[in-house]
Amino acid sequence: MAAVKETIDTVAALEKYEHGFTTDIDQEFAPKGLSEDIVRFISAKKDEPEWMLEWRLEAYRRWLELEEPDWAKVSYPKIDYQDTYYYAAPKTKEGPKSLDEVDPELLAVYEKLGIPLKEQAVLAGVEGAPRYAVDAVFDSVSVVTTFKKELAQAGVIFCSMSEAIREHPKLVRQYLGSVVPTSDNYFACLNSAVFSDGSFVYVPPGVRCPMELSTYFRINAKDSGQFERTLIIADKGAYVSYLEGCTAPMRDENQLHAAVVELVLLDDAEIKYSTVQNWYPGDPETGKGGIYNFVTKRADCRGDRSKVSWTQVETGSAITWKYPSCVLRGEGSSGEFYSIAVTNGHQQADTGTKMIHLGANTKSRIVAKGISAGKSTSTYRGLVSAHPKAKGARNFTQCDSLLIGKTCAAHTVPYIEARNGQSVFEHEATTTRLSDDQLFYCQQRGLSQEEAVALLVNGFVRDVLQQLPMEFAVEAQKLVAISLEGSVG
Amino acid sequence: MSLSTAIENSDLPSRRHEDWRWTDLRGLIRTVPPVSPVFFDVIKSSGPFEGQANAELIIANGRQNWWPGKDAETVEFFEHDAPDNPYDRASLPMAAIAADHAIEPRASIIQFNGDDAASVRFVSATDGTSHHARLGVVVKAGVSAVLLESHEGRGDRYLANTLIEIFLEEGAKLERIVLADDAAEAVAVTTAIVKVAAGATFNQTVLTGGARRQRIETHVAHPGAHAQVRLDGIYLLNAQRHADQTTVVTHGGVDGVTTQLTKGMVADQARGVFQGRIIVAEGADQTDARMGHHALILSDRAEIDAKPELLIFADDVSCAHGNTIGALDEEAVFYARQRGIPELEARAMLTQAFVGEVVERIEHDGAREIAAAWVAKQLGRSEEGGAE
Repeated sequence: MAAVKETIDTVAALEKYEHGFTTDIDQEFAPKGLSEDIVRFISAKKDEPEWMLEWRLEAYRRWLELEEPDWAKVSYPKIDYQDTYYYAAPKTKEGPKSLDEVDPELLAVYEKLGIPLKEQAVLAGVEGAPRYAVDAVFDSVSVVTTFKKELAQAGVIFCSMSEAIREHPKLVRQYLGSVVPTSDNYFACLNSAVFSDGSFVYVPPGVRCPMELSTYFRINAKDSGQFERTLIIADKGAYVSYLEGCTAPMRDENQLHAAVVELVLLDDAEIKYSTVQNWYPGDPETGKGGIYNFVTKRADCRGDRSKVSWTQVETGSAITWKYPSCVLRGEGSSGEFYSIAVTNGHQQADTGTKMIHLGANTKSRIVAKGISAGKSTSTYRGLVSAHPKAKGARNFTQCDSLLIGKTCAAHTVPYIEARNGQSVFEHEATTTRLSDDQLFYCQQRGLSQEEAVALLVNGFVRDVLQQLPMEFAVEAQKLVAISLEGSVG
Repeated sequence: MSLSTAIENSDLPSRRHEDWRWTDLRGLIRTVPPVSPVFFDVIKSSGPFEGQANAELIIANGRQNWWPGKDAETVEFFEHDAPDNPYDRASLPMAAIAADHAIEPRASIIQFNGDDAASVRFVSATDGTSHHARLGVVVKAGVSAVLLESHEGRGDRYLANTLIEIFLEEGAKLERIVLADDAAEAVAVTTAIVKVAAGATFNQTVLTGGARRQRIETHVAHPGAHAQVRLDGIYLLNAQRHADQTTVVTHGGVDGVTTQLTKGMVADQARGVFQGRIIVAEGADQTDARMGHHALILSDRAEIDAKPELLIFADDVSCAHGNTIGALDEEAVFYARQRGIPELEARAMLTQAFVGEVVERIEHDGAREIAAAWVAKQLGRSEEGGAE
């Protein structure tokens, strides 16, 4: 009966976008608009070394020459890049030395989001319960990172990007931009110029990170964009599992989020990267407001036998433009991509992955589940390619789309490029609607229509949910149900 | 837009055009080839479908050349003032050029008034020249017709651009078999625009051995309404040949069925391209669409690019696609060799069996036999020339 109870609880917890509150926190802004001066301002604000400023300026100059991409199946009014704040930070005199110094309003926000920042609170929990080290990013800056000491004992560096630039410049210089170069694409280029914070993780050779690492991103300020940059390096034989969650208040205007995530894997390393993306999706009736989520995520499996796994649950954002990719360079390296993209209301999601097989005997697996309801559009776009040297490459791709309602759309646009005679590629895709028979069966058993939809959809996305760490899986399951609320009938 | 304007403005399709990313023409055609001359000798030779149809139309070097069949009641041939070019230069660049600049000022039309088969031979007979041709095919209501279409490369390094517009009236049926035997250094583009009426059936099988660059593109406007569409293809490529099979099916109404099966093999440094797009418009419920593309790569320098797309705007549909690319099963090769079959022959035999499924789906008996023989011949040649 536990499963039944769980379902009932989940459904009972259904409500509209629950993270849509705003918090009145004293903020510090840079002037609106983007120019070399703003880039210099951000760099100065962060007290960055000269090389970092040069790096940003170079990116900014390249950005001016690039054109905004228009190939994705998403449409939105032209973005005025001069009408956005590129830097917003909660006002604090000095950086907080401990949680006690952090603005209590801010801590309250995280409490509302259900994020345990207080180590004590976590430690006081049931013994043996999983512990997370959390890096909380509020608007443009990292607010607090927990469990740093314990991680340091294991040799793991987990800190905000600005701290890493100050404390570990050698590592940052070596790896930053080495996976996603500054000129990679329009949004990555913009991010390189103005990124204000993000997380930095380094796991030394042979170390298995003792706990899950987690970052919570929260956009709060009005008219501001969030540009965070995450860099994770797993040295030889290292392992780390990293979770990422995002929320934003409900506002009538669109806000820009352009992040870059770079993963570097050396020999035998493994990174598990999970995302539950729940940015404000805009008003379900009018489509007003919501976050533009333009994200570049890429993993570079440089080492032999390295392994990367992307798992994403995308339920938020007005527009999603996101293709977490794997460059499988090392011999025998492998990449996995598990995705659930739920769109409802007027949301548009164009998401998928790229698996680029460069090394011999590389393997990749893609499982993508798209669910569209309301007037939304969900597109899977993916590339699987094998270089002539990638002998023995192997890929399996499965993309399934589920349509709920007459006015939504689901598209599948896979690209397959095979360039040697010793690789095997398999791809299958299906598009169907929610089965009337199954709905009827559930309703006949006493479930309401909405409960039945939530149950069936959770069954549809099960393959992906299973890849998420326990706590996230529960949250994701609930999110999927919330996102689809009101989609039937 | 003429070809020369297209070249001057760098407007020919290239890898920058999303739909042409794997079939670049701009890099290959830098100067305008001279217009192909009138060529009569072709009437002395026979085409691959000889004896299969009473009526035969030959279009040699872009000029409608001979119509030996008796003007039977079932198949009619006439010329018609060419309608204005309805094609958008951005989405159908080569069809637009053919519509604007066909060598013949008037369009040739084949009309099926009763059940029958007709053959159309597009012959490119001279070296280094270019021609554009436009043909219309009409199948009257309730009529069952077969169109046996061959593209024959007698010359080489030519540019052949063909536009075929096909209209199927209510309850009509057409089986179109295309055998493209272009020359190794030729550039050939064939675009078919098919309009299918309610309850009609359109079946197509394209067989190709490729060219320097070759694209066979089919666009079908599917009304739903119990109409059925089958689009099949086989490509068998060796040396440095390239073949692109592109299909776009747009389901506009309820109750439509589309099935697609394309199989291919590439050896040496050849490149096979498959782009299939099924669009189900809003309200086109109860659509059943299935697409399959399966291919073998027999060499480390060969390449296959595939893009099987589903664009769905209706919810009560059942659509699926499958795509597999890989090498021949070495265990099967081993088994055959163990039974005394030499390796090359074993590989040819397995490939033949692999693509045989597509051949079997051809309904016209004569065409099916010719297709089977073409596959065998193509594989024999491929295996001789394709040693690693």
